[in-house]
Amino acid sequence: MTIYGKPKVRFVGGDAIHVDFCDEISLDCNRRVHAVYYAILNDLREGRVLDIVEAVPAYSSLTIFYDPRKVRHDSLTSYVSKVFEYVITQPLNELVKPRVFKIPVAYGGEFGPDFNDVLKITKLTAEEFIRIHTSKEYTCYMLGFTPGFLYLGDVDDRIAVPRLETPRTKIPAGSVGIAGKQTGLYGVESPGGWRLVGRTPIKTFDYRRTPPIPIKPGDLIRFYAIDCDEYLKLKDKFVDEVQ
Amino acid sequence: MDHVPTIKVLKSFYSSIQDLGRYGFRALGVPVCGAMDKLSAAYANALVGNDVNEALIEVIGGNFVFEVLRDSLIALTGADSKVTIDNIPVKVWSSVLVRKGSVVVVEPPKRGFITYIAVDGGLDAEVVMGSKSTYVRGGFGGFEGRLLKPGDVLSTKDVRLKSVFKLAGSYEVPNEVVERLPDSNTVLELKATEGMHVDLLGEDFIELLKNVYVVDVSSDRMGYRLKGEPIKKASKLGRLISIPTNRGYVQIPPDGQPIVLMSDAQTTGGYAVALVLTQRSVDVLAQAQPGQRVRFKVVSVEEAEDENAKYLELLGNPPLIFKEGEESYY
Repeated sequence: MTIYGKPKVRFVGGDAIHVDFCDEISLDCNRRVHAVYYAILNDLREGRVLDIVEAVPAYSSLTIFYDPRKVRHDSLTSYVSKVFEYVITQPLNELVKPRVFKIPVAYGGEFGPDFNDVLKITKLTAEEFIRIHTSKEYTCYMLGFTPGFLYLGDVDDRIAVPRLETPRTKIPAGSVGIAGKQTGLYGVESPGGWRLVGRTPIKTFDYRRTPPIPIKPGDLIRFYAIDCDEYLKLKDKFVDEVQ
Repeated sequence: MDHVPTIKVLKSFYSSIQDLGRYGFRALGVPVCGAMDKLSAAYANALVGNDVNEALIEVIGGNFVFEVLRDSLIALTGADSKVTIDNIPVKVWSSVLVRKGSVVVVEPPKRGFITYIAVDGGLDAEVVMGSKSTYVRGGFGGFEGRLLKPGDVLSTKDVRLKSVFKLAGSYEVPNEVVERLPDSNTVLELKATEGMHVDLLGEDFIELLKNVYVVDVSSDRMGYRLKGEPIKKASKLGRLISIPTNRGYVQIPPDGQPIVLMSDAQTTGGYAVALVLTQRSVDVLAQAQPGQRVRFKVVSVEEAEDENAKYLELLGNPPLIFKEGEESYY
């Protein structure tokens, strides 16, 4: 794996600069993405940088969308380089202050239609799988593709299973899945190809709230197992209410 | 200000309430949405004296009929469709005073694909994260987070100012805006910069630029699918690390058939991005009917910035041409 000494910058579309920090999915690299992202948000909040329409972080990269009437790619590139130079001199935990969220999950049965297949592939018992999946805090690498989808990782190698060959067309909100070293949570109903092992009864994404989801890139998630009764008791509570 | 019922939908094929988009929440996975052909939307609003970002109706593929429930100033822009008010043809790209009880019919487009209908005062709609745009897949924004259907009644601010009604028919839209609509007899040229994954495509990138593609019927507000000679290299790339995406990104999935992301684009994606269209080109592509032939033309980043800057200027403040002495109301 390579974390680039200097991020690689690409200019696309005449209104976006795309910054790659490494060429693999790794926590170290992802932390760097988040550090730069939050440094940019700080600058925006305090008016030190203007004319950025939106900054969007992903696993190993960050894209800045800008208004070319006001700023051009060359000056934004020197701005990003400066932010990067600053960020690498700072302790990472100074820039990214993760919040920890506890998320209840009902495993198997109708909540996790792929649970039994996953046990077969991993040769684990249900108890062993649940113990491993709930044993650590996962980092939220990014949110994306659909509203509030959480890309979390890394899972223990023993429960890393490949995604489905044929994606499902409809997955209920709250579904928890696994795809390779990643575990994910569907914020809204959507299509998707992750192997579904369980579902949370709580709402993590509510478009009526601002922000619609309190979990941000870089935050930490810990799952805990619940039974059917608890599932019904917690149904549709917002994630903030059960912390 | 009071709000009054203004439009009753009588027939709808694929229409929704949109504005110019929902910005600032992509880091949380929330797509931008908004009008597909933003310039046409901005002009519809400008013609009735609204802010360019006001909510309006986006009609894809025509087949939209509505009754007007109060005297209104209405403007239709975008596709070249036959539009009638109580069976009398009226011009697109112009505003018209419509009397209470009139029925407006938007027929399937002859040229272009998407029609915008703006009403003075602007449509009431659910504001979600700062925008009235409908995001159908997420079920929020616009009118109950869904497409419009017969029976829906849309309200507006009750403006009915004489000064606004005087706008009826007295302004025109510059020809170069109207004439952006793709011509089905020619190959539509789409301007784009190189994307971030050009290197991964190697020689096949040259092929992509040589090929002529056809807009597929399976296209929607999320992406326009193009059919043509497949880009072979794509099948070997597999899944890339997901990166942020945007309207105008030309993705090459493993089957080698390009997809141009449109207004409801997912916020991140793991397919190779070969090209990124200029914003003006996305607007024009949005107006392409299924079957339209397209090809890509690479421009420099500087050229794309200049074009986008000009486009954004136009979008923010669309210039209208004053036209004197015309019959101004229906």
